[in-house]
Amino acid sequence: MRFSQKYCLFLLLILFLLSSCQKTINPGNSKGTVKLTFNNKVNGSPMALNTGIYTNPFGETYTITKFKYYISNVRLGLSGVPTIAAETESYHLIDQSVPGSLSFSFEADENSFITLSFLLGVDSTRNVSGAQTGALDPLNDMFWTWNSGYVMVKMEGTSPQSGQPGNVVQYHIGGFSGANNVLKYIGMVFPGGKTVNIKKGQTSEITLEADFNKWWQSPNDIKIAGLPVCTTPGAQAKMVADNYSKMFTITDIVNN
Amino acid sequence: MKFKILISLILTLAATVFIFDACKKNEGSKPYAPSYLKFTVPAGWPQPPTDIFKDNPLTEEGFQLGRKLFYDGKLSKDGNFPCASCHQQFAAFSTYDHQFSHGFDNAFTFRNAPALFNLAWMKEMHWDGGVNHIEVQPLAPITNITEMVETIDNVLKKLVIDTAYTRMFTAAFGDNTINSQRMLKALSQFMGSIQSFNSKYDQVKRGTASFTVAEQNGYNIFKAKCNSCHAEPLFTDNSFRNNGLTLDAYLQDKGRMRITGNTADSLKFKVPSLRNIRYTPPYMHDGRLLSLQQAIEHYRTGIVVNQSTLDPLLKNRISMTNQEKVDLVEFLSSLSDNDLLQNTRFAQPN
Repeated sequence: MRFSQKYCLFLLLILFLLSSCQKTINPGNSKGTVKLTFNNKVNGSPMALNTGIYTNPFGETYTITKFKYYISNVRLGLSGVPTIAAETESYHLIDQSVPGSLSFSFEADENSFITLSFLLGVDSTRNVSGAQTGALDPLNDMFWTWNSGYVMVKMEGTSPQSGQPGNVVQYHIGGFSGANNVLKYIGMVFPGGKTVNIKKGQTSEITLEADFNKWWQSPNDIKIAGLPVCTTPGAQAKMVADNYSKMFTITDIVNN
Repeated sequence: MKFKILISLILTLAATVFIFDACKKNEGSKPYAPSYLKFTVPAGWPQPPTDIFKDNPLTEEGFQLGRKLFYDGKLSKDGNFPCASCHQQFAAFSTYDHQFSHGFDNAFTFRNAPALFNLAWMKEMHWDGGVNHIEVQPLAPITNITEMVETIDNVLKKLVIDTAYTRMFTAAFGDNTINSQRMLKALSQFMGSIQSFNSKYDQVKRGTASFTVAEQNGYNIFKAKCNSCHAEPLFTDNSFRNNGLTLDAYLQDKGRMRITGNTADSLKFKVPSLRNIRYTPPYMHDGRLLSLQQAIEHYRTGIVVNQSTLDPLLKNRISMTNQEKVDLVEFLSSLSDNDLLQNTRFAQPN
């Protein structure tokens, strides 16, 4: 009997040792999941790359062949409390041509959050920190090689109003420092007094809409005839960024 | 009964050790144990402005991988233009005797290929400072349409099917993943390790050699008239200045302004190091001055002074007698570091 007791203890010890060799144990385990989905639209309709023909507020028609942007530093916030849930290593490339890129999930502590904030673009630190990987890999064609830094938002297309060869429209909007900084912090309170209730083991879903039509107007008039191409940091890129920073709205919240 | 329990205990223990061992091992591969290298700051030199190896630990394996990549034509579209095609060791890693270097399809590069050494002290790369970190520097020549004309995607595809690279990436980084970040970090380890600090000038500073009379005279002239921009011991202050060259009508190269968009930066270029200057003709960002004598003469009589962004230090040009000019050339020749050219660690690997 004494031996079987010892044996049991021994087995327990072994089990303990074995479990300690597993690396992926959820610490604390009071975390739930939040999933963000970005629906890119133009004038209220789902963005159709290549095939959709759109009209901007100045009556200029255009198509969109590429639409990509970086979402980073995603956080959920509480009212009047410094506690926030921040995604670690939070860099996402939303690419309209890659359906799987339009949503992503991360773990957050249990709580009832009332705000969502994120950076539209890649923070300045990662623009000066050398070779990156994942969403920030230069393979993603969002990194300027001759003037180091990320293209934060990229739109390419065509328009009869563009005097460029092939009627191309090309906006590569970037610039992360000084007067040329186009980084936009987007902060939103969940509409209708709703909260995102993170519960252990469950997933809350936040759906956002990005309306591309905001690109052209308010506060700055961007006419294709006047600016069909903008591919360097500077005052014009900033004007475009001031406009597109208003393109996001939260359209749905589902707490499971 | 006791015996059975003992047997069970022993068997369980053996099984545990086996499982425990298996969980430590990485699918039978050798453990990752690179040889770490120490980057040495020469005595009396300032610390580099940032530690370029902070997030990229310098190892012999990483260095050797970077060296292989630097000399490998696979990084270019047709295999003929490795980094080393424009950065030749015998020219202190510049292109010897070429105003512009040659790229893919008989193209000329846009600017004169800069020499590569002591890059750990360089905050910004390129004549216009457009590249803000040594790790992302290679992206520019690899993808440039007048240089290597390749995509990063294609380069990686060529590396992935080369078993030598599988082995070397594994040795350098612990597993056989080949991606752009690792490629760039390895190149950075090689390029950042190219140091030059054993010229006659350095030996004189260390007390193991002495200047000739002409060299000493030249050094005095240098200290009086050149070192406010070409500051010792790096022989550059890494600033951007307009040194009074005219705008080339064809190239329309406005230098730093191309990056900042600021008209106050028009015609400003990075002050290059004067180290190894005898090995790096021709001179200036577009290589328009063919000899050292011509370069000095530019500062003496050639500066175009009616330019709004001209460096204030040059508004009266730099006065110098003919003898002083000869002596200055002698001093500048003492900045040649033959060790840099002969060091087999930086040479093309076998």
